[in-house]
Amino acid sequence: MGLQMLINAILLGGLYALMGIGFSLQWGISGIINLSYGAMVILGSYISLEFFNFFHIDPFISMIMSGAILFVIGAIIYRGLLQPFLKGGIVFTLILTFAVRLIVENIILKVWSADYRTIRLAYAGSNFQFGDAYVPLTKFLTFITAGIIIYLTYLFMMNTKTGKGIQAVALDKEGAQAVGMDVEKMYMINFALGTALAGLTGSLWASIYAFSPHLLGPIVGKVFVIAILGGLGNIWGAAAGGLLLGFAETAGASFLGSQWQEAIGMVIMVSVLLWRPYGLMGKKFFS
Amino acid sequence: MSNNKKVNIFLLIIAVVLFIFLPRFLSGYWVRVITTIFMYAVIAQGMNIMSGYMGYLPFGNAMFFGIGAYVTAIGMSKGLPFLVVVPLAAIIAILFSILLGIPVLRLRGHYFAIATIGMSAAILSVVQNATEITGGAMGTTLPIIDKAPGITYNYFYLAMLGLMVITTLSLHFIIKSRFGFGIRSIKANEEAANSMGINTTYHKVVAWAISAFFTSIAGALYAYWMSFIAPDEVFDVMIAVNTIVIMLIGGAGSILGPIIGAFIIELFTEVAWSAFLEYHLAVLGIIIIIIVFFVPKGVTGTIGDFVKRRKLRVEKKVSI
Repeated sequence: MGLQMLINAILLGGLYALMGIGFSLQWGISGIINLSYGAMVILGSYISLEFFNFFHIDPFISMIMSGAILFVIGAIIYRGLLQPFLKGGIVFTLILTFAVRLIVENIILKVWSADYRTIRLAYAGSNFQFGDAYVPLTKFLTFITAGIIIYLTYLFMMNTKTGKGIQAVALDKEGAQAVGMDVEKMYMINFALGTALAGLTGSLWASIYAFSPHLLGPIVGKVFVIAILGGLGNIWGAAAGGLLLGFAETAGASFLGSQWQEAIGMVIMVSVLLWRPYGLMGKKFFS
Repeated sequence: MSNNKKVNIFLLIIAVVLFIFLPRFLSGYWVRVITTIFMYAVIAQGMNIMSGYMGYLPFGNAMFFGIGAYVTAIGMSKGLPFLVVVPLAAIIAILFSILLGIPVLRLRGHYFAIATIGMSAAILSVVQNATEITGGAMGTTLPIIDKAPGITYNYFYLAMLGLMVITTLSLHFIIKSRFGFGIRSIKANEEAANSMGINTTYHKVVAWAISAFFTSIAGALYAYWMSFIAPDEVFDVMIAVNTIVIMLIGGAGSILGPIIGAFIIELFTEVAWSAFLEYHLAVLGIIIIIIVFFVPKGVTGTIGDFVKRRKLRVEKKVSI
């Protein structure tokens, strides 16, 4: 029982970790609280659903496509909508990303309806035993894939010129500008990378859980908690935050009942905000 | 200058009198729509004092609306009369705003907005799960007034109108007072305000309590008016989103902005609902984007700029 719960928590937390990183990067580095993040995740799920229905492509492969499509969408949203209003303050970016959410939500409702959809994989039922606990194969694969993507994102940020540029811009915008960096381009790539990660999460989500437009709000609630737990713009922090939320939700659901799941996350978030506004693992820098 | 002011006051009194007699010429449907507009104007004023004047965005301000509605529903189900329940709802909302505000208002910018969303969601969960007291996620009913629906709707129309006028007047005087200068200085520069000897914590908490007071009374009236409320409806984030849009289009930080914005947005939403039923979400999203792109300062701000520019032009001509 204890081991099974622990495994469930880790498997859920891995997906949450991937989900939180994109949001955390967008907020911490581009300075945008992306209220359309939930819509981007679910859009990724539907893209995988279409690839699965028409071409029978596995979500673990079509996630590359949904990542690429959402990268482009993210870049367009940033350049076209958000960039002109960054100086206007928090009201504008919040309300604009919410407007994007409404439009995407309407498109999803129109094209795919409000029903819950699932992708039925041939190997969805198979699982293997670990100690005296069962590990579903798809959830295990999702966890591994999420881990790989997180590591790749980290490598991108640390080792490529663009990644280093994004970090430089996050640390000191004026300084980066002074040495000849295209600051706005870095912000755009970072924002688009965040939406791409949302799309990848959506595809992985689609391979194990049902999805519908009802999830848009709850997902945004979760990524808020994860980003704040980990400290904004911090990849490993967000990953740890995701795992922590996975544990808190699993434990909370079995001790208090699943109806309190959302409240648990919110209470954790507000307490962390008050106690350490820069996140559990974050540095004081972004506060 | 004082002459101008007198004309303005005169015009406003005429507008209020016109609104008092308006229901006689309107169908019940439009009376309800305009009552909703008044309600949104009140909530938007609550947003305006926090965001427009003080620069703190309480994204979860719908929690006070919900608290007002639920205190009213619970109180009236216990047999208390409405006029006793409304002050009670306001007091409880103020207590919440002070207890939550003292820790949370230390946070700035994004963090404050997010913390209020979190608190709103947490309170929503509590209301949904405390089924014995609140009726749970299914919602709860209030006693229905024993009169013809047309007459009760007129009562609520007048009550909301009165609340809107009182809210706007109070805000007008608060903003012009010493306290109002305090909260405006917080928006300009909080550190500077602090070092000038303004007790910023006190100002912020009291401003949020004022916001909570008016928002909760709007919620109380709404609950009695609808005679049925459900938690995810009165704690809906969309209330805050609508309110922010209203404040933006009317002009944040202007006293009449929220009223003008409420009329524009709510009438437009009515049209959007009836004309594009299936696309009303997307239409609302597109309207938001258009507003932000073309009138970022809102109606009052844009008109103000126009008047200023004209004055400048006239002065130039005179000097030549």
